[in-house]
This record gives sequence, C-alpha cells and structure tokens, in this order.
Amino acid sequence: MKARRLTLSQRRQLAGVVFALPALALVIGLIGVPIGQAVYYSFTQWDGITTTWIGPSTWSQAFHNSDLWTALKNNAALLIWVPVALGLPLAIAVLLHQRVAGWKIFRSIYFLPTAISWVVLGLVAERFFAYQGTLNSIIHAIGLSGVTTNMLGNESTALSALGITFVFTMIGTNTMLFLTGLATLDPSLEEAARIDGAGRWRIFRHITLPHLSRFIQLAFVMTVIALFSALFSLIFVMTGGGPGYATTTMEFLIYQTGFSQGQFGTAALYGLILFAITGVVGIVQLRLIGSDL
Amino acid sequence: MAAITFDGVTKIFAGKPAVDSLSLHIDDGEFMVLVGPSGCGKTTALRMLAGLEEITTGRLLIGDQVVNNVLPKDRDVAMVFQNYALYPHMSVAQNMGFALKIRGESKDVIRSKVSDAAEILRLTDYLDRRPRALSGGQRQRVAMGRAIVRSPQAFLMDEPLSNLDAKLRVEMRLEIARIQRLLGVATLYVTHDQVEAMTMGDRVAVMRDGQLQQVARPQDLYDRPANDFVAGFIGSPPMNLLRAGVARDGDVTLSIAGQSVTLPERLASPYHLANGEVTFGIRPEDIVVGATGLRARVERCEALGAETLVHLSLNAKGASQHLVAKAGPRTTIVAGDDLAVTFALEHAHFFDVTSGATLRVGS
Repeated sequence: MKARRLTLSQRRQLAGVVFALPALALVIGLIGVPIGQAVYYSFTQWDGITTTWIGPSTWSQAFHNSDLWTALKNNAALLIWVPVALGLPLAIAVLLHQRVAGWKIFRSIYFLPTAISWVVLGLVAERFFAYQGTLNSIIHAIGLSGVTTNMLGNESTALSALGITFVFTMIGTNTMLFLTGLATLDPSLEEAARIDGAGRWRIFRHITLPHLSRFIQLAFVMTVIALFSALFSLIFVMTGGGPGYATTTMEFLIYQTGFSQGQFGTAALYGLILFAITGVVGIVQLRLIGSDL
Repeated sequence: MAAITFDGVTKIFAGKPAVDSLSLHIDDGEFMVLVGPSGCGKTTALRMLAGLEEITTGRLLIGDQVVNNVLPKDRDVAMVFQNYALYPHMSVAQNMGFALKIRGESKDVIRSKVSDAAEILRLTDYLDRRPRALSGGQRQRVAMGRAIVRSPQAFLMDEPLSNLDAKLRVEMRLEIARIQRLLGVATLYVTHDQVEAMTMGDRVAVMRDGQLQQVARPQDLYDRPANDFVAGFIGSPPMNLLRAGVARDGDVTLSIAGQSVTLPERLASPYHLANGEVTFGIRPEDIVVGATGLRARVERCEALGAETLVHLSLNAKGASQHLVAKAGPRTTIVAGDDLAVTFALEHAHFFDVTSGATLRVGS
C-alpha cells in the first residue's frame, strides 16, 4: 500500500515544528521550568535545603513587608533618571550626527562605558562619590568646600548617586541606538525642511524627533528594564543596598532575602513580582514596536 | 517672483571645480532646464541656488539680492527633490502645509492654500493619506504641491520625474509644464533626460564637466548646436559625428571613410571650412537611404514601431565609420544589406576637430 504523501504546505509546517523544537526545549528548560519552580517556591518556606508548603498566605504576608515597599519605592524613584538616560544620549547623538570635529573619537569615548563591566563602573563611581573621592576634590578645588557631601553615605543622596551612575552606564548604548536611528534619516528630508523655512530646532522637533520615535521607544523600554533588573552590580559595589535600605531595589532585595537571610521562598516571590513588572514593560515594548505608527 | 542670475559661480569640491564659472540668467517666469550627463555639475548648481551648497566664488542673485550668504529658509525658493523628500510621518495636507506652518500662517490660510493646490494637482481625495499610501505619481504631485502652496520666488526641481515609469513621466512632464506656466514662477529644472529638456523648457542650458556649453531655445539647440558635445547630447538618437577630410576648390569635397561627398559652395559658405579635417555632423533623419551615394553596410536594425533605426557602417579603403539613419516603420532593410546613403547637406554641421566648437560663421 502506498503511503499518503504530505502536501507541500504540511511538509513546510512539519519542518517548522522540527526546527523549532530544540529552541523550544531550551526555552522550556531554562526559562519555563525555573519560572514554574519560582511560582511553586513562592508558596513555600524554603531555606535552600528543606521546603515547607505554606500556601497563598506567603503572598499576603509579603505585601505587608515594609522592605518590599521600600524597594519598590526606590525603583519608582529611580525612574526619574530615565528621561535623563534618554535625553542626554539623544543630545549627544544629534551633536555627533552633525559630524562635529573629532566626532569619531567622541563616539568611541561615549561608547566606552558600554564595553566596561558594570562592576568596574560601580567601583569607579564609588570612588567618585566617596567622601574623600573625586567629586568632593573638585568641589574643594573650585572653592566650594562648604557644600562637600558624602553622597553614598547619606540616605537622601545615595539613591541619586546610584541614578547618576546608572545614567552614565546607559549613555553608550542609547547614544549608539540614536545614532543608528539618525543614520537611517534621509538627509533630503532635512534639506527639504530647511528650504521650507525651518531652523535647527524646528527640524529637530518636526523631522528628526518623529523619525526617531521608534528608537526612543525601544531605548525607553530597554532603559526601564535595565533599571529594574540590571542595577545589582552597581548597588553591590557602591552601597550594598544602604545606607539602611536607601538604595535597595527589588533585585537587590531578592538577593538579600535569598542569599543573606536564607529565605529562598520569599525571594522567589519577590522575583515573580519583579518578573511581572518587567513583563508589563516588555509587553508595552512589543505593542509599540509592533504598532503601526 | 523674481529672476535668477548665476554670475560667474564656481563650486570647488576637493580641489576640483564641480561648477566652473557658471553665468546664467533665468528671467522671471521662465522655465529653464539645466541638462547634462551625470556628474556635469547641474545638481550642484541647483543646490547652490537652494542654499544647500556654499558658493566658492561668484555671485548668485535672486531678483536684485545677492544670496550667497542667505540661509535656505530665507531665500524663498521651493524645491522638488528627486526622491520627493516627503515627510513620512505627516499626511499629504501636512506635508503641503508645513512651510506655511513654519511661516506662522493661520490654520485657515493653510487649509485654504493647501486645498487650492490640491485642486490644481488633483490631490483633493488624498489629503489625509500618508506618503507611503500613495503611488509614485501621486507622491510626485505632493512634492509639487509642497512647492506651489508657498508661492515662492522660484521653483527648483532636481530630476523630479526620474523615479516614475515611462508613461507617467510623459503625463507628469505635461503636468509640470502646465502648472509652471499657470503660476508663472521662474523655474530651474535639472535633468539628464534630453527629451524632458526639449519638451519642457522655454530655454535649455547644457552643461558638461562643470561648464556651461550652450543656452538656447530647444529648437535652436537642436538646429544650431554650439559644439559637438551639444550636437551629440541633444537628439535621440544623437547626431552622427564623423571625421571628414576637407578639400576646398570652389565647392568643397568631403572625404568620409574613404568616400567623397561634394558640398556645394552655397552650403559650405555658412561655415569656416579650410583644407584639413573637420567633424562632420548629420542627424539620423537627414540621412537618405537609396540607390546612389556612399556605400554602406547595414549592421543592425532596431524597429521602434513608428520608425526603424538603421545602424550602418561606411566602409571603404580600410577606413570605417559608424552612423545611424532613420527609416520608415515597415522598411525591408535587414542586417547585412549593402546600401547607398546620401546626406541632406543643407542640415549638415561642421565642428572643429580639436576644440569641438562649431565652424558656423558668426558663432
């Protein structure tokens, strides 16, 4: 009996499934299973060795924990640095795009932080903001000794120092992203606008900025996600989450809860909350990129 | 509206002149076409007029005002770009009204002017669309619309039809000429297409290697080219340019590819023809294929429908020269035929072999 032959369309679908299987297995194994485990452990008390099922009360208890709210509040406070982390690279990119003298050297300099480990950047920033660090030396040198401050040692200023360092770390990536966007801008559009009577600001406002909107959206989402999920190394080397909880963000709280206090179940729960926050940002990103502007 | 004057304008790029001492006057309301091969400097000249390129030396005037150091936004000229340069994030109406908005016109004025221009350009139904939702011809009309709503001193057009298909190009050629005459604004139109130049311009300026070769009305350019470059550039197919020996003894005897042609004195007298060599020019339509004349062999025939281009080789005593003649649409001539050709010598042209300049008396 002759075997039934698959149609071309069915064979293509089958090939698609076969090729997707290895990637699917990796995604399930490396992402799906840990997420499932985290969900399970969030309902338990787990010290790393023994697991005790508690149930949904772990979630209600967690939301009564002031440390969680402090961490969320710190994350929210750091959001004010996002416009700076976008605006500064945008300004730099626009200037570099004008092909100012030495623009290639400047481009490399601005990209340098991206190529350096955030641990190293954190150490440099720690030395910069320290009481006897570079910042205060500069303030002394220009005769403003009265305003010297221990930014990292002060609860009211430590988070700002962290935010400034974060902006510094993001400058390279976002500048490159905006430069890429500017490179795709048809120069004749700017020329047309010049002939239409527009000056530099109006060209930027009406031509350049709308063209960059997709790139700005992407940079925004990447920056927010980095803010929520990539600050650990900076915090670890600069402040250790302190003074007090002044610079403890969600991801640092997860580390402290799990590895310092041995409450891995609670840490898993915090991890899920952070996952939900970054998930929402990610979905917004997909919507924006997929949308027809 | 105003006249435009290039007064010895030069533009140097990397030590080499892209435009070399260009002097050209465009009257108010005149449609001037700047034509030439790629790299001849025509677009650079246009961009200098737009203010997008700085002028190295010379003066550029719009009306009575020298605009060498005037910013593009203050020159009050409108430009249509080769790729249209429509703002992709704006609607057709916003594209057309952008310059008015920048100028600070009220919304009512902008709406009214855009509406008027859209009517002239038959774009009324497309005002809310984005450029990407338009066809090539519609985009081209939007680019035109953006220029005309401003009522500028001058229109500048940089090969605006080059991205359109052949049929649309013919339509838009007529359309642009119609609108220009309707508005009566001085226009500088850059193209490499000599058909556009001949059909659209009140006058045509031919450029080569940054230098102006000739400025004349289209028919004058065709009938009385100033040099062999213009003769070869204007006309499709171009003028045949053949090396010819001249022997003057009352009448003039021309020796072309080893064969002799007698030029009567009355036809030779408008030219400075001395014994020696000249470049002999004859247009394809001025070659008659018949039973007597110079011997030629048919190399190839191109049937274009309305006519047939016959590629011929004049061949005798080891000398060979190629030329193209026009024959009727249903000619029986085929490749390999041996024919005889005669020239309508009253339409012949003679150019200096070295300089290429016409030998016409008084030129």
